[in-house]
Amino acid sequence: MADLPYEYYVDIVTKRYFDGVDNYNMEQVLDCFHEDAVLTEVTSMTVHEGRDAGIRTMFEGLFAAHDRIWHGNFVHTGDTETQAICSQFSVEVTPKGAADFLRYENCNRFYLKDGKFDRVFVYMSGENLLK
Amino acid sequence: MQYQSSLGREGLVDLALQQYFANVDKKDLDAVLDCFHDNAMITVQTAFTVHAGKENIRRMFVDFMGAWETIVHRDFTCTVDETNGRITACFTAELTDNDGNTTVLHNTNFWRIRENKFQEVYIYMSGENPLT
Repeated sequence: MADLPYEYYVDIVTKRYFDGVDNYNMEQVLDCFHEDAVLTEVTSMTVHEGRDAGIRTMFEGLFAAHDRIWHGNFVHTGDTETQAICSQFSVEVTPKGAADFLRYENCNRFYLKDGKFDRVFVYMSGENLLK
Repeated sequence: MQYQSSLGREGLVDLALQQYFANVDKKDLDAVLDCFHDNAMITVQTAFTVHAGKENIRRMFVDFMGAWETIVHRDFTCTVDETNGRITACFTAELTDNDGNTTVLHNTNFWRIRENKFQEVYIYMSGENPLT
């Protein structure tokens, strides 16, 4: 699947992955990952291993802690040759019970294998939300 | 902002790794600044620090190069979007001060290229920002 088109990479990041995160759709989110995928939050060196273990647990925590999650303002660097896409974006989250939302300017590096996320690296502009 | 770049894949990688980072490590300030347009902007996104315009970028690099005895950038992984004039690199930055103390960062840079130079640079750092 090395010849997946450019738009595949943009679509899996925006229309599948972040759409799933913003709508609390756990199965849609996890379907973007390989079973043995690893997600690393680099700014705090927090590592989540395994789609159905560490990564699922991380999203359960994220979803439980926030009333609203929104990702937008994307700028992508997509590379079909290396099966990778690096994305810059804004994040707004409203913690459970809070009146105000928090704003982040983050980036993710997604490395794909056969059309799904194999390794994901997250940089956050503020405190790590992905614990 | 979407820019038009005149560089292909190899040209984008050469600009980021050889013309830029290799010259940062050599502390060749003029060669580093030659990678930037006069109205370029560097944003250290993880620290919300912005350096706008070549003179401010020069000042930042003068301080950065003066603060560290040796500067080494290594272990690059590049992601190249030549259609859109963008390149991303993750890398290890190893900074050693005059007392031999070393700071190691695992960073990612995003470059947006206009014609054949940097127009916008975004840096995401794993630790404290040394580009102040």
